[in-house]
Amino acid sequence: MEKRQAPLHSTQRSRREAWIRINQAVSVPAQKHFEFVDRRGKVKPASTIIAIGGGKGGVGKSFVSSSLGIFLAHLGYKTTLIDLDLGAANLHTALGTPLSSKGINEFILDPNMEFSSLAQDTSWPRLKLVSGSSETLDVANIDDSQRSRVMSAIFRNPCDFTVLDLSAGTHSATLDFFLMAQHKIVVVTPDPSSIENAYRFLKSGFFRKLRRYEHQLHLASQIDALMANREALKIRNPGQLIKHISTQEPVLGPKLKSLMSELNFQIVLNQARTRQEAEMGFALQSVCHKYFGFPCPFVGALDYDNAVWQSLRQRHHLLSSNRQSHLYGQLMSLARKIAKSQPLQAVI
Amino acid sequence: MNRRMRDPEESSQTFYDLLEVNESAGPVDIYQAYQRAKATYAPNSPAIYSMFSPDEAKELMALIEEAYQVLSHQGRRKAYDQKLGIGPAQPTRSQSLPSASFQVSNSVRTESVALAPPRDELPEGFARTRFSIYEVKPEFEAQVSALEVCSGEMLQKIRLYKGVALEQIATEIRASKNMLVALEADDFEALPVAVFTRGFVVHYTRLLGLNENKIADAYMKHFRANKV
Repeated sequence: MEKRQAPLHSTQRSRREAWIRINQAVSVPAQKHFEFVDRRGKVKPASTIIAIGGGKGGVGKSFVSSSLGIFLAHLGYKTTLIDLDLGAANLHTALGTPLSSKGINEFILDPNMEFSSLAQDTSWPRLKLVSGSSETLDVANIDDSQRSRVMSAIFRNPCDFTVLDLSAGTHSATLDFFLMAQHKIVVVTPDPSSIENAYRFLKSGFFRKLRRYEHQLHLASQIDALMANREALKIRNPGQLIKHISTQEPVLGPKLKSLMSELNFQIVLNQARTRQEAEMGFALQSVCHKYFGFPCPFVGALDYDNAVWQSLRQRHHLLSSNRQSHLYGQLMSLARKIAKSQPLQAVI
Repeated sequence: MNRRMRDPEESSQTFYDLLEVNESAGPVDIYQAYQRAKATYAPNSPAIYSMFSPDEAKELMALIEEAYQVLSHQGRRKAYDQKLGIGPAQPTRSQSLPSASFQVSNSVRTESVALAPPRDELPEGFARTRFSIYEVKPEFEAQVSALEVCSGEMLQKIRLYKGVALEQIATEIRASKNMLVALEADDFEALPVAVFTRGFVVHYTRLLGLNENKIADAYMKHFRANKV
């Protein structure tokens, strides 16, 4: 299967080496399952869930999630791709798969439907797709019970990896899907608008989780009091807020802090046109660390490549039509990094 | 906030956290981290857009500058580490080696006899090398300092007197043990050419806390006289 590589020109080589250097410097932290074991009735998710969000539309969430799914399947893991962009589903188009008659929208509308019946085969072995295809009106606005039904179905989906392609924006359903994952990947492009939306998305995720746990730990009143005179206390970011609570509440504060630091958002920088833009990932990592007070690792930079939209026009996925792209190696290394935290298990 | 940062006991964020480097990071790492931080928190940097206001970014920049001023200077960094309670448990190579060799050679020049300066209390009549503590025998010391020609056997005698193992020297100066055995046994066939042999002897004697140039010269006389 190993393809021999053509010799590279010196400029290509230096570019390649730079990419390799950047991608070696970033790493995915080993995931622990303690979040679910500790607090969800000792139930482990049936698969490792990877959520791909990003706040802004058009940054490549569907591209990254489909590519990640393909490579994880290629590495030998049973992978399910789920299109959770409920109002504007297009993951099947990104994959170049024909539209299926049954998707996540039918599952939401029909309470008796089994989730396992939705998965459709793709042209890649071991990769299944749950599309969100239906043209039903108003399916983007699902209520709480429907949301929890979808979430528990995803939670119990039996495979190795479940990749969730989320919608743009900071809708509460999107945030909930994002927060249920072990790998919370946020896709950013180097544009200021994308960075702003990604930050907004991360902040919304942070505060949604904070809201959930402040009630559980009975810290809501303290947090409200701190926020009321945050000017006097010089609380300007969530990291400082958590630090203040930790000093005020010696028992519950650190507990909240450790719960929040489990968020560890992972940053993927997409559509980098120059090396400087690719290295911006490190800057985002540093800013997020300083702002939220817990590490948010930068896990990979992806080139800007015209081949992506060319293959989209032809209704093929890039990875099936154009293997010469730089992206091939970059996406492969991203998938490997994520897969490394979960060793492949033999089927006996 | 500035004041708070200066006092490491009150704040959980140290200068190392600010620059996002390890506590054992070398000068190059610190410089690179500083450059990266400077680019990240520059006023027009896209990465801080909507996260930190220009004023906050300015404040952060000032802190980063302060952190770099302290961590880039060896003396200030040492004082800061002591304040933080970070012992020099795992000093990096660049920090430990020059100072240690400087200490030894310095002491040799001032006392001209074979003693490393005592770091803490030792009983009367004892001294130490980097690897051992030994009992001082003044007549032997006098004999060593009066050496005109030094054989390999004499080197071995001095080493055994100081209680240092051959393996310790071999690991430290990165020479093979066989080579050192040959040196002490005056096996000139097994020794390299004069310039390299002299290099080994210099390192060997420096580790023993001797006057390396004097002993090496004395040894080379012996070497030239006997090597065919």
